[in-house]
Amino acid sequence: MTEDRPLPAAGPLPAGGVVPGAGPGAARVPAAGAPAAGVPAAGAAAGPAPEPAPPADDLAWRRMHPVTPAVKGWKVLAAVLAIIAWNAADDVRQLAEWLGGRAWLVIAGVVVLVALIGFGYSAIAWRMTRFAVTDEAVHLRSGVVFRQQRQARLDRLQAVDVVQPLLARIIGLSELRLEVAGGAGSAVSLAFLREAEAEQLRAELLARAAGLHPGRRPRPAGAPAHPAPGDPAAAPAGPAAPPLATTAPGAVPATDHPATADPEAALTLPVEPDADGGWEGAAPVAPERPVYEVPVGRLLASTLLSSATIWLVVMLGAVGALIVGTGQVGSAFALLPALLGVVSYTWTRFNRGANFRAAISPDGIRLRHGLTESRAQTVPPGRVQAVRVTQGLLWRKPDWWRVEVNVAGYGSNGDQTQTENVLLPVGTRDEAMLALWLVLPDLGTEDPRALVEAGLAGRTADGGWAVAPRRSRWLDPIGWRRHGVTVTDRALVLRSGVLVRQLVVVPHERTQSLGLEQGPLQRRLGLASFQLHSTPGPVSPRVDHLDQRVAAGLLDEQAARARSARAGAGPEQWMRRA
Amino acid sequence: MSTPEGAAAHPQPAAAPAAAPGGEPAPGPAPGAAPVRESEPFEPAGVDWTPVSPRLASARLLVGLAWLAVPLVALVVVAAVTGSVWVWASAAVVVALVAWVVWLVPRQVRAMGYAERADDLLLRRGILFRSMVVVPYGRMQYVDVTAGPLARKLGIASVQLHTASPGTDASIDGLPTAEAARLRDQLASRGEARLAGL
Repeated sequence: MTEDRPLPAAGPLPAGGVVPGAGPGAARVPAAGAPAAGVPAAGAAAGPAPEPAPPADDLAWRRMHPVTPAVKGWKVLAAVLAIIAWNAADDVRQLAEWLGGRAWLVIAGVVVLVALIGFGYSAIAWRMTRFAVTDEAVHLRSGVVFRQQRQARLDRLQAVDVVQPLLARIIGLSELRLEVAGGAGSAVSLAFLREAEAEQLRAELLARAAGLHPGRRPRPAGAPAHPAPGDPAAAPAGPAAPPLATTAPGAVPATDHPATADPEAALTLPVEPDADGGWEGAAPVAPERPVYEVPVGRLLASTLLSSATIWLVVMLGAVGALIVGTGQVGSAFALLPALLGVVSYTWTRFNRGANFRAAISPDGIRLRHGLTESRAQTVPPGRVQAVRVTQGLLWRKPDWWRVEVNVAGYGSNGDQTQTENVLLPVGTRDEAMLALWLVLPDLGTEDPRALVEAGLAGRTADGGWAVAPRRSRWLDPIGWRRHGVTVTDRALVLRSGVLVRQLVVVPHERTQSLGLEQGPLQRRLGLASFQLHSTPGPVSPRVDHLDQRVAAGLLDEQAARARSARAGAGPEQWMRRA
Repeated sequence: MSTPEGAAAHPQPAAAPAAAPGGEPAPGPAPGAAPVRESEPFEPAGVDWTPVSPRLASARLLVGLAWLAVPLVALVVVAAVTGSVWVWASAAVVVALVAWVVWLVPRQVRAMGYAERADDLLLRRGILFRSMVVVPYGRMQYVDVTAGPLARKLGIASVQLHTASPGTDASIDGLPTAEAARLRDQLASRGEARLAGL
């Protein structure tokens, strides 16, 4: 790791490295001071510092909130104690017997020692951690023994999350996570910051990633930084805009919406969209308007109506049968781990879906959710790689749907998929369509509602669907009726699943690569499976058992379509005109 | 090619997919938005496939036979010592396996191929389970060139293309070293020219 080499990206910043919110000349961060006021400007940082000298470049390095070690230290303590409890419980018990009456004293001592080490380490880690924001990138330096310097390019920014674990939430701190699509562990985590600071930083990062620059150029007079909600200029895309606040039938938007990646996206811009737009003072917070939220009652009911509940009932039945059959309560403990697994899955699903609210803003989709740990996600326009709408068997009666997305960088932690990739944990058909609209305002078809309806529940070729031929029933006796694919000007739409219905939509410009597969049986029947490769996530678009000529034709066509869509796709910096 | 009952009950020449089995009316071009490609599904029109080096077959055969040689030798020794018919039979099975591998691997290698088109790279493989992948140059994130000791001895290398999707299974094994280097540079420059975000 390069230690004190000036970063190449340091150039564009004006001398003094003033970043909005940085108090020029402010000295060290006092232990209890507000970090926003204590950001060391580059000049001041060169002075006699009692701490590890900040890197000798002209970046405006900032610190996390000083309470961070206290919040993170608990994690270390809990982790160490959990490891001891799991792995060495017997040894500890023997030790306790051997120690006799002094056992509690020793245990308390160990806990205090671990806590001291945990908090001490966290404190040192905090001292070593600094971050800086430039026009091009976010820089993060961390590590006590092994130093790490990470630079996340803002034009590759895929999503920005503000996460508040329970403890941090109580204290009023937030973690800011930047996803940059570099695979597992590539996210840049800025933990912890004060709530307001995190919000401000998020706005600033999004503005910079959108192609706006602070201080470059004053905003033209009269341009409102925060358009009033009632401001007609702030209304989404003129009179044809969908009644976003309602979920009435017909709420699915008309087709004349600009493309997601279009710089003139659904909402007006907070700043005049100059080629090199700028703002003064604090970064403008993009206005947002709510689209849907999930009532707690429905979430609870939907969680109970999931397959996990069926397993829970089966498990409880098995436990009961075991107890009755063997006459011993103890035998039921064999099933305890599985039972705990189901309960924890259900709880996680409920916990993370609680208070779910979605909104749209010029910075993209905003999602807020979580009961204990709250999370506010922002996915900029054009960052959603694929969408999936699913309905389990038990959800069919109330007509509920779940919407998940692939966003590069999201879900790379495995267990985070339940959290980060959910666009709508449970919603009515209309809300599911709204969720689809959030991702893809323009489906590229005359009648998007009919298209989506056919994709959600349809079984026929009506409406331009290429369906699996009847002879594919030999390979998929139940599901073959629903296998189908259709193409619009903007996206590839795939449907499948008779029991668990599924609809997948992939914008053409988000196609990574395409595949065609054929097994021996398929070959006999003249069938082939078509596959579209998307970024890692819950959605893996594919349609099985199409007629082989249709599948091959689709491969050719889709390759060409994806190519032209890519060429016409908007800039990565979504507020910059192409 | 052994086929379970489904296909056996409806004998169906692979070349005439339009005549559906079971006496169903043959579907015309599917009534979908997707067009129909009349040529063989794995033979796009106007594509010249480049085969991979036959030396890949040698490499794979060497490795496969080396693995099979261990149990074969062991079985023969045991059979010679014990004289048991069953052990001899097991040895015969391994010999049959060897013959099958010797027959299969060169065919597999011959079925592998790639084609550089103007905007994307086409890869195909497989005889029984066929697959074809289209990787647009603009979607490549990086290219790997690897060669193990045996491959180096034989003068071949494999080139693997990575997109942002882990599902993209795009590796070309058995390229002559010079061709691998050329392809790597070619892919890199074409990718750079067409690179578009994610």
